[in-house]
Amino acid sequence: MRSRVVVLLAVLLLTLASCGGAVSVSPSPRVAASPFPATLSDFQNRSVTVPSRPERLVSIGPSITAFLFALGAGPRVIGVDDFSDEPAEAATREHVGGIKVNFEKVVALKPDLVFSVKFSDGTIEKLQAASLNVLVVDPQSVSDVAKTATLLGKAVGADGEALARSIQQRVDAVRAKTANVANRPRVYHEIDASDPAKIFTVGPGSYINDLIEIAGGANIAARAASAYPQLSAEEILKTDPEIIVLAADAYSPKPGDVAARQGWSIIAAVKNNRILTIDPNLINRPGPRVGEAAEAYAKLVHPELFR
Amino acid sequence: MRTLSILAFLAAALIVSAAAGILVGAVAIGPGDVLAALFGSNDTSGTIIRELRLPRVLGAALVGGSLATAGALLQGLLRNPLADPFVTGTSAGATLAAVAAIVLGLAAPLVPLAAFAGALVTVTLVWRLARLGGGTTVLTVLLAGVVLTSFAGAVVTFLLVSSDRLALQLRAVLGWLQGGVSVISWPELGVAALVVALGLGFALVLAHRVDAYAFGEETAATLGVDPDRTTTAVLGATALLSGAAVALAGLVGFVGLVIPHALRFVIGATHRRLVPASFLTGAAALVLADLGARTIIAPAELPVGAITGLIGAPFFLALLVRSRRIVI
Repeated sequence: MRSRVVVLLAVLLLTLASCGGAVSVSPSPRVAASPFPATLSDFQNRSVTVPSRPERLVSIGPSITAFLFALGAGPRVIGVDDFSDEPAEAATREHVGGIKVNFEKVVALKPDLVFSVKFSDGTIEKLQAASLNVLVVDPQSVSDVAKTATLLGKAVGADGEALARSIQQRVDAVRAKTANVANRPRVYHEIDASDPAKIFTVGPGSYINDLIEIAGGANIAARAASAYPQLSAEEILKTDPEIIVLAADAYSPKPGDVAARQGWSIIAAVKNNRILTIDPNLINRPGPRVGEAAEAYAKLVHPELFR
Repeated sequence: MRTLSILAFLAAALIVSAAAGILVGAVAIGPGDVLAALFGSNDTSGTIIRELRLPRVLGAALVGGSLATAGALLQGLLRNPLADPFVTGTSAGATLAAVAAIVLGLAAPLVPLAAFAGALVTVTLVWRLARLGGGTTVLTVLLAGVVLTSFAGAVVTFLLVSSDRLALQLRAVLGWLQGGVSVISWPELGVAALVVALGLGFALVLAHRVDAYAFGEETAATLGVDPDRTTTAVLGATALLSGAAVALAGLVGFVGLVIPHALRFVIGATHRRLVPASFLTGAAALVLADLGARTIIAPAELPVGAITGLIGAPFFLALLVRSRRIVI
């Protein structure tokens, strides 16, 4: 994945060159002094202009919050959604709602820039109607993570490129380790088994599917039709996963519960006692800790590479 | 003799439905492999058939059979074509008791017992309410059912939402409440089968007394049937059957209403014939409904209760319109 870094550097150089004009090869002093006003294209391809360095930020989306703190913009974050608990300091900010955004609270905070994940219920439009400047940021895959770092860096006037590079380096380091593994074990990652006949797992286009691939595993649902497909127990038995991964919170099944499911004793992962757990906060959010997440996942799939 | 041939035909229909239910599933398995699986082949297909499909089909059969038999008994006892465990609120009472048992952390084998107790309390309440003022009218039974169902639903919601401690159980309970026979383990099936066998046994023994009831309680008394003891026994059998069905599959509606009613048209209202016929037909019907639930929108899956509701609710409405003169 060296090529990815090269492309990234090329893009970077091009951007700098176009900003500085044809004569200048080094970054122009004017650009370095103030990147604002900045016109950005967000994750919904909306064009958003940030007139000056934003000082009052509201973040609706735990991974956005994590990025803002990682970019050093934490002190400027005044409001976050109810799920933003990373880093721990983030949770001390005003809370502006969770699944449903509390519009009054957002407006009362008088933010000069609001970051939000995508909503299908008109939340973004409502925020805009309240004359708020909204940037939609919704990373869904590992490759989105570097893009997010860069975009958010530009939006708050921080060095997003550097963060993107360091994230990419860590992911590439894991990739390098797993690149030449002889076997890619079949991995079944369980999201939710509330309906035991139709269990949610991860398919192509999902962040965790990327992590499994980077970790040197073969997702049993890699050819599913959607990012979060449902499998029947029959299908899971048929694909015979060698590793079962549970992103177990307090309320979800434990490895013992999974092993005890009717008929599951025939699965290789159950026979070989390879039902493993991973911290859901680490791997459910495509955030700045993606490198750490890829490493943690790789340790589950290929423990022999990390001795 | 005619009874025997009817029952033989229905049993054959049940076997055909069950065969279809075992042959069709999310993973394609050829008939040869299915046969090998039933005789103990030890590969993945064998496990899928024996541990996943077979219990599912047997579970559906038990649930459908129990509900239809309970429906036949209730319709006979209340002399009311619109009665079944679902519309009388008996299933809701069983659900409430079962949820309470799960929430209190009782051992899994106790859940069907709790469901039975809940069903018994509710069906007795309905019986008492229906008898207020002398006769049992269709309207009173239905209203009592509506009231008890909404009350039980409210308490279940309260139980589920009220306490943090319950959050641990919430997903399990919600999954089960959705109804359906998707995943049933052999131990669950074993306990339920025992309860159903008991209920069905009672139902068969009581069938001729229910026949006497068709002429009214006084006539039944002159025929040598003790009304109070019979009522108690029939309510008990109904509760056993409804409780087992709810413990296995949550709320599955209308099977108990449609099957015995339709059978009355075809084979007559004699309960000695109607009770076993209802069990076999209900069993076959729910196995087929579950097959529909898995295949209609495959690869997604419907809860079987959606299928029975889809077919049963319009049927119920038609019955209600037809019986309008009884209500008024």
